[in-house]
Amino acid sequence: MIELRELKKSYGGVEAVHGVSFTAETGSVLGLLGPNGAGKTTIMKILTGYHFPSSGQALVDGIDVAEDPLAVKRRVGYLPESVPLYQDLSVGEYLDFAADARGLEAPARKAAIERAISSCGLSGVYQKRIEELSKGYKQRTGLAQAILHDPPILILDEPTTGLDPNQIIEIRELIRSLGKSKTVILSTHILQEVEAICNRVIILSEGRVAAQGSPAEIGETLKGEERLRLRLRSPAAFDSSRLSSIPGLRSVASFSSEGPGVFAAELVMPPESSGAPEAGESVFDWAVGQGIKILELERRRLSLEEIFVKLTQEGSQEGDGK
Amino acid sequence: MNNVLAVAKRELKSAFNSPVAYVVILGYLLFTGIYLYFINAFYSLGQADLRAYFSIMPIVLAFLVPALTMRSWAEERRLGTYELLLTLPFSENQLVIGKFLSSFALAAIAIALTIPVPLMASMLGSFDAGVLVAQYTGVLFEAAAAIAIGEWISSLAKNQVSAFLGTVLVLLALVLVDRISSFFGSGGFVASLLNWLSLSYHFDSFSRGVVDSRDLAYYVSALVLFLYLSSWGLNRRKWS
Repeated sequence: MIELRELKKSYGGVEAVHGVSFTAETGSVLGLLGPNGAGKTTIMKILTGYHFPSSGQALVDGIDVAEDPLAVKRRVGYLPESVPLYQDLSVGEYLDFAADARGLEAPARKAAIERAISSCGLSGVYQKRIEELSKGYKQRTGLAQAILHDPPILILDEPTTGLDPNQIIEIRELIRSLGKSKTVILSTHILQEVEAICNRVIILSEGRVAAQGSPAEIGETLKGEERLRLRLRSPAAFDSSRLSSIPGLRSVASFSSEGPGVFAAELVMPPESSGAPEAGESVFDWAVGQGIKILELERRRLSLEEIFVKLTQEGSQEGDGK
Repeated sequence: MNNVLAVAKRELKSAFNSPVAYVVILGYLLFTGIYLYFINAFYSLGQADLRAYFSIMPIVLAFLVPALTMRSWAEERRLGTYELLLTLPFSENQLVIGKFLSSFALAAIAIALTIPVPLMASMLGSFDAGVLVAQYTGVLFEAAAAIAIGEWISSLAKNQVSAFLGTVLVLLALVLVDRISSFFGSGGFVASLLNWLSLSYHFDSFSRGVVDSRDLAYYVSALVLFLYLSSWGLNRRKWS
């Protein structure tokens, strides 16, 4: 379990984190989301004892990082954003060093190394020198180091950068399963990643918490509207004015003809609310009633950029952004 | 202690996985050998005495030690492994001592590899074993103090090259500072201070075969002081 209380950190007069408080429970994956310079990495560096806070407290399993950094470091597995590796060691030698550093002794040591190797898919490169590895393998070697000692707390700074899509799926699966029994904090720019693995999200903006909650809750508060992309085939003559008979439709963002009888449109619908039919449902029922065939109907997600823009605007309007 | 050894073991593995360690040790043996046999013309002197061989050690170490210590912290910073080291459960002292031990082990290997020189020479004449022990003790202690200085400079330097050059400069200054003490008149305060600071002044009695506790105390104090400074610097960084 991790608890931050009014955490502040300044580097030579520049304040990077302005009083952040949150709690991450055991058995959860917490995502830190935010643009560069929002304070994600600074918070992680404080939680791993690399920097001390200027004021406020960071507690890891109830231990204050500034008071007993060694006890905290023993509990934490950390993958920094830069993925620090000794280029002139082999993967095996590197993990051997990590095992020494963690004080792992036989027989647990061998089992721990084997587990880390197989969970990170490194068995094929065990003997290889790290400088010869691809970026994806380097990333996985760094992750293997972080999980080697089966730590109760796992802190991962952008764990899936540089991986190919298959590897991303594997690593996300791994993080999700680790999150069942540990406290995992990860930072990312990728919204799908948050939705795929995090139970809770904290969005940071300029060193402050701009929003927090489950991914669904955050998406909810942000969505003032629902956008649907629609492609349809109409046997009868069709133009954009016929779309206005869709129940609840707010406006049509775009409309075009894609060929004889085939049209594409982007619809702006009211946000989801309990009781009312979902936007897609209304469109479907409307199409059936009109004798129109739906070729594609897709909910357009808000992109991370749109979320950032919205949040930073809201944050500055509210003043302290809490 | 296990943590100290873990750090030292990793350093040594990296050193021997790259050509650096071999090149530095070989260079040291070549240079001291060439000096003894060609420049000092050991065989034509006809004396069973290696004092000249040992008396150049402070100057030679002023180049050997920076080559061993330049990577120490500067390389960790370049690779980003600095952050890894400082977030693993190591104390600052353990890191500093572990790194010191690995560089000292490399220096000790280089120094030990010169043992065939007195061994071969002893076949030609009778050497005083006690003198040799004193001479080697002196070299090891001086190397230890110089390594502590080199490690500290590497912890401040931005990269390997500046760590190397900075350490060479500081060590040469400390080796040569007793040469200018005579300008200040012998026996005066300034002169004796300069002498006292000098790495080579304290080495003189060792190269003559005398182990003086004041000289040992000087090297040990320098060692402890600079290890402490490195550790203090690491600790301070966390608050910045």
